[in-house]
Amino acid sequence: MQRLSTPLRRIALAAICAGAAGCASFSPDGGYAEVRQLAQQRSGGAIPSTAPGAGSVEHQVAALLAKPLSADDAVTVALLNNRGLQAGYAELGIAEADLVQAGRIANPVFSFGRLKSHEGIEIERKLMLPVIGLLTMPVTTRLERRRYEQAQLRAASEVLRTADATRRAWYGAVAAQQSAEYMEQVKNAAEASAELARRMAVAGNWSKLQHAREQAFYADSVAQLARARQTRTVEREKLTRLMGLSSPTAFTLPQRLPDLPAAPREVMDAEAQAMNNRLDMLMAQKELAGLASSLSLTRVTRFVNLLDLSYLRNTGETGERATGYEIELQIPLFDWGSTRVAKAEAMYMQAVHRAAGFAVDARSQVRESYGAYRTAYDLARHYRDEVVPLKKRIADEQLLRYNGMLISVFELLADAREQVVSVNAAIEAQRDYWIADAALQAALTGAGDSAAAATPAPRAGSAAPAQH
Amino acid sequence: MVSRRNFFTGAGAVAVSTALVSRAGAASLPEAVIMDKAATQPPLMPPNGRPYNPVVTLNGWTLPWRMKDGVKEFHLVAEPVVREIAPGMKANLWGYNGQSPGPTIEVVEGDRVRIFVTNKLPEHTSVHWHGQRLPNGMDGVTGLTQPGIDPGKTFVYEFVAKRPGTFMYHPHADEMTQMAMGMMGFWITHPKDHNFMRVDRDFCFLLNAYDIDPGSYTPKVNTMLDFNLWTFNSRAFPGIDPMVIAQNDKVRIRVGNLTMTNHPIHMHGHEFVVTGTDGGWTPPASRWPEVTTDIAVGQMRAIEFVANEPGDWAFHCHKSHHTMNAMGHDVPTLIGVDQREVLGKINKLVPGYMVMGDKGMADMGEMEMPLPDNTLPMMTGRGPFGGIGMGGMFTMMKVRKGLARGDYKDPGWYKHPPGTVAYEWKEGGIAKPEPVRAPDADRMAAKPGEKVLQVTKPGKNHAH
Repeated sequence: MQRLSTPLRRIALAAICAGAAGCASFSPDGGYAEVRQLAQQRSGGAIPSTAPGAGSVEHQVAALLAKPLSADDAVTVALLNNRGLQAGYAELGIAEADLVQAGRIANPVFSFGRLKSHEGIEIERKLMLPVIGLLTMPVTTRLERRRYEQAQLRAASEVLRTADATRRAWYGAVAAQQSAEYMEQVKNAAEASAELARRMAVAGNWSKLQHAREQAFYADSVAQLARARQTRTVEREKLTRLMGLSSPTAFTLPQRLPDLPAAPREVMDAEAQAMNNRLDMLMAQKELAGLASSLSLTRVTRFVNLLDLSYLRNTGETGERATGYEIELQIPLFDWGSTRVAKAEAMYMQAVHRAAGFAVDARSQVRESYGAYRTAYDLARHYRDEVVPLKKRIADEQLLRYNGMLISVFELLADAREQVVSVNAAIEAQRDYWIADAALQAALTGAGDSAAAATPAPRAGSAAPAQH
Repeated sequence: MVSRRNFFTGAGAVAVSTALVSRAGAASLPEAVIMDKAATQPPLMPPNGRPYNPVVTLNGWTLPWRMKDGVKEFHLVAEPVVREIAPGMKANLWGYNGQSPGPTIEVVEGDRVRIFVTNKLPEHTSVHWHGQRLPNGMDGVTGLTQPGIDPGKTFVYEFVAKRPGTFMYHPHADEMTQMAMGMMGFWITHPKDHNFMRVDRDFCFLLNAYDIDPGSYTPKVNTMLDFNLWTFNSRAFPGIDPMVIAQNDKVRIRVGNLTMTNHPIHMHGHEFVVTGTDGGWTPPASRWPEVTTDIAVGQMRAIEFVANEPGDWAFHCHKSHHTMNAMGHDVPTLIGVDQREVLGKINKLVPGYMVMGDKGMADMGEMEMPLPDNTLPMMTGRGPFGGIGMGGMFTMMKVRKGLARGDYKDPGWYKHPPGTVAYEWKEGGIAKPEPVRAPDADRMAAKPGEKVLQVTKPGKNHAH
């Protein structure tokens, strides 16, 4: 711009600043602050102040991994360390660059020609200023700003999605670890039974049949334990990946899942809240607003074709979005733009219906998630307050019966196994509660895959009822 | 304690309303006397009528009567009762006049007897006078000889007690349920000549059995043979009172069996003869000495002996499971199975688990571990030398020098004269006999390749 004469520069600046939302320049943190704010308002936990990939990240992660990892810590580590998330931030940088680029006038072009003919030498000098660019700048800047804002929303929802996935993975990993421990107890009970059975056979008190039956139960419980341990590995690896760690042994998990809250969340006007809060709804609204302004632009100027702007929610099979626009200037000699106006109106209405349908889906998702959440809470509480204490009472009464030689140690052990299995089911119910809690949060903010909430998590280890 | 409160005004809190029996009618009925104690009551000396030598009902009592125009009138009330089977365990039973079994009815040969039976059970009942000679219509078989006594109704039975001997009474209406619930009682018709076969002490009791699940109170009425409580007069040892006898007393013990199996009743320290059966007195020439007499189902036996050996003599059913209280009949034998190494493992899963049964079941009598509610230990009761290790159909005859005639108070444990108790052999005492070798030990030894069973013997390394 240095080469432009002062009057020309004034014209250009006036045109940009008058037409566009404002002069764009690069933000100091690549837009992270806004993303953080967007995510923070919608997240259950804190969003780290440091953008991922920054210098101090390694240090922060190491500090978090030093102690048993809470669900919030796991989320923080993932937000600092998850590579996929960092790739998402790069997209935000690209959008910002586009925005800044749109606010700048293309460099003027100077051409010099020298032609030699029989008549002599002709020298042609040409200075071309991108006047057209000046004309389109207000439009493109506005469009780029919208794209940039959408990229921010997308990045924020990526943050929430990662947080949600990490939280679920954490619950899954802790529950699988607890289940594996309990399955170990089942195996121990079966082992004690089998060992006693062996001794019974050696002492001549039991037949091969009775011995084999106890042995068979033990053999089954070993297989179940192996499965429970495999589930523990799978769940732990899932969490490892989300946290962007290179080794599953880099962290320790607490022994138990967090307790159920004393009362379930009461989400008043959950649907309205979701409409205001969901990032995907915000994006659809921005999209609609953009289309609306494009439409009015088309009507006024008639010669600016903006109709190639694709609907932003169009996503490919693999999830990537095709976004962008194209500006074409036409000389309105033959077509005065009436068909384009009609098309623009139809496109706008298409987007309106899409957005409305999307809102219907979002509301339904919220209701479904809340239903799943309440059921999960009631079930987990039922297991905690009814099933487990009842099994404990049965086990206590069985011990009294054993004391009176009314039942044998084998029945006592069979009952202990059943009690352990019910504790295991209680752990799973507790885990399902926390996952449903995360799913509800995701449905309220538009992050995460709310469909996953409806899918029951894998059973870490459910033993067959005792054969006694 | 006999409570002489009027049944119709006093016993309101029972399932069936008494309103069905009119007060006008009630005024002419003899009093329904209620017993609220399970302890043996002193013999009821006959206040009127023909004289006789009364019996002592073990953990029971005799029903008082009223004489009306020369007829002995009794009033039995069939009703739900709570019977203490032994201290620490109570059962919801059906019985008569506050207890199960009901009171003993004592009459004299030739007495005209009128018995009012009021039904306060939730279903109809009847009373069959087991073994009596009586008009067919007084035999108490519902449907066959009479209609059932509906709840709230009072029926009258009247007959002459013709044959002296030992009898019982029980319902013959839904009898499987009503007998499993404890509806039964003793009946004695004393001989007209009160010096005929006179004895100094005359005890009587019924054999009965219940199946009450540990931790519950009501018998399972559908059980046929696998009962878990074997009782004398609905009491299990250590809830059964001893039979207190003065040395050299002539003693009669009458036993009736209303369980569903036979009971070889066995007496220690003396021989007896069976002097009475269901059919009456046995001719003296037919009696032979025994120490055990098998009493079949529905039978009665009267045995007699002279208690000339002082001491505390066991008296019990000889079926060893019948001298046990509630036990698991499916518990595998653990003898010789060392559980100590797995103990830790089991304790992690079942805190409070203790090893039992590897040395036998005597542990049970020694250990005092918490049991389900309302459950008697399998074996219990302590004697002067330790745990007696029995329950169920077990009691003692306490024969003592110099007891007064009517004294039935427990005299405590027998004091053995010096040198009359088995003792541990010690080096330097009486010479131990030389070990005896099997006459042909080599021939009896196992051949090569023959399977030899290992016998578990407690050794030094196996000390518990």
